[in-house]
Amino acid sequence: MKSAEEINLAMETYADMVRRICFVHLKNRHDTEDVFQNVYLKYMLYEGIFENQEHEKAWFAKVTINACTDWLRYLSRRKWVSLEVIAEEKEVLDDTSGEVLEVVLKLPEKYRDVIYLHYYEGYSAAEIAGILGRKENTIYTWMSRAKDLLREKLGGEWA
Amino acid sequence: MNRIQKSMEKIQATEELKHSTLQYLEEYQKKTRRMGLYVVRRFALAAAALFLLVGVGSYSVYRYPVSFISIDVNPSIELSINRFGRVVSAKAYNEDGRNIIEQVPLKNVSYMQAIVKLLEDESCRGFLNKDSYLVFTVISDQSEMIVRELSGSELFQSYGAVTYTSDSSCMHEAHQHEMSFGKYRTYLELLKYDASITVEDCHGMTMGELRDKIEICTHEGKEDGEKNHHGEHHEKGHREEK
Repeated sequence: MKSAEEINLAMETYADMVRRICFVHLKNRHDTEDVFQNVYLKYMLYEGIFENQEHEKAWFAKVTINACTDWLRYLSRRKWVSLEVIAEEKEVLDDTSGEVLEVVLKLPEKYRDVIYLHYYEGYSAAEIAGILGRKENTIYTWMSRAKDLLREKLGGEWA
Repeated sequence: MNRIQKSMEKIQATEELKHSTLQYLEEYQKKTRRMGLYVVRRFALAAAALFLLVGVGSYSVYRYPVSFISIDVNPSIELSINRFGRVVSAKAYNEDGRNIIEQVPLKNVSYMQAIVKLLEDESCRGFLNKDSYLVFTVISDQSEMIVRELSGSELFQSYGAVTYTSDSSCMHEAHQHEMSFGKYRTYLELLKYDASITVEDCHGMTMGELRDKIEICTHEGKEDGEKNHHGEHHEKGHREEK
């Protein structure tokens, strides 16, 4: 079991990333809070050793995505995420950001992960393949399709 | 910074979310510790109960006597034996016997070991000579086996000992008279020939003296033409008396 010091450090380092992955997957803050707590609980109980911080970060990304997927499966909810989350964040989001995120959230789930991990976290296709447990070629395909969809919705200058 | 980055930048984990999560983890740890302690306590309790159950059960079986051997010369000693053939208690029924068991530890050894220890001990050997009469009286469901084992012992044969079997009612009566059941059985045998003999008389007599009295009585009986009227004459070996 991880120490309080390790948990606090992980909280400061990865909380925003975990929150954002939850954001692209989940319906509302309530679900986010549940999954967020679940991810950190898994971390606290994780007995493995991280080779480095990158390894730890990828672990957090993978576990959060899986936790979100499990949560949605558990609730038997729709594959598409409600835009309620954007409404909940309207205080911090300007119109442009709200519009971009709305389009992102309307993407199929697998594309959302790829877009987030690539465009926000800066992971390469190979790294995303590792996190999602897919072939690199599959990630390239998903990334390409996701870009097409975003371009279609947001115009040529979306990125 | 791309548009997605710019948009996502504003989505952050609030302090409230971090705080509630840390609280949740802390609660979880406490609960787990409590649960751990609970499980440990329950386990310890169950283990203790099991230990007590098995332990007390085994101990009860161990200390419960199922066979008895009365060893009488002049010292009169009774051994209580459990179903594992171990001596669980030794009781003396006269002063000579008390002196011996004070010096010879007999408990928790097999009855054969106990008897050998007893007969080889200096305190007992003083009573064993050519005139002494060593009698083993057995009460047991396995009396035949015990008698066979005793009779096969070299030490037993060297002292020319005899064995008898008896029963619990005889033992009960004997103990009411503060006498070993081995000696009491001999008293009852003598009583067949001499109605005037009392238990009190026998208390002060050795087994050899009792045997002599029986022999005299049986001899007199023969002379008086009263043959075959009261039991059998003692010979070295085993007699069964119920």
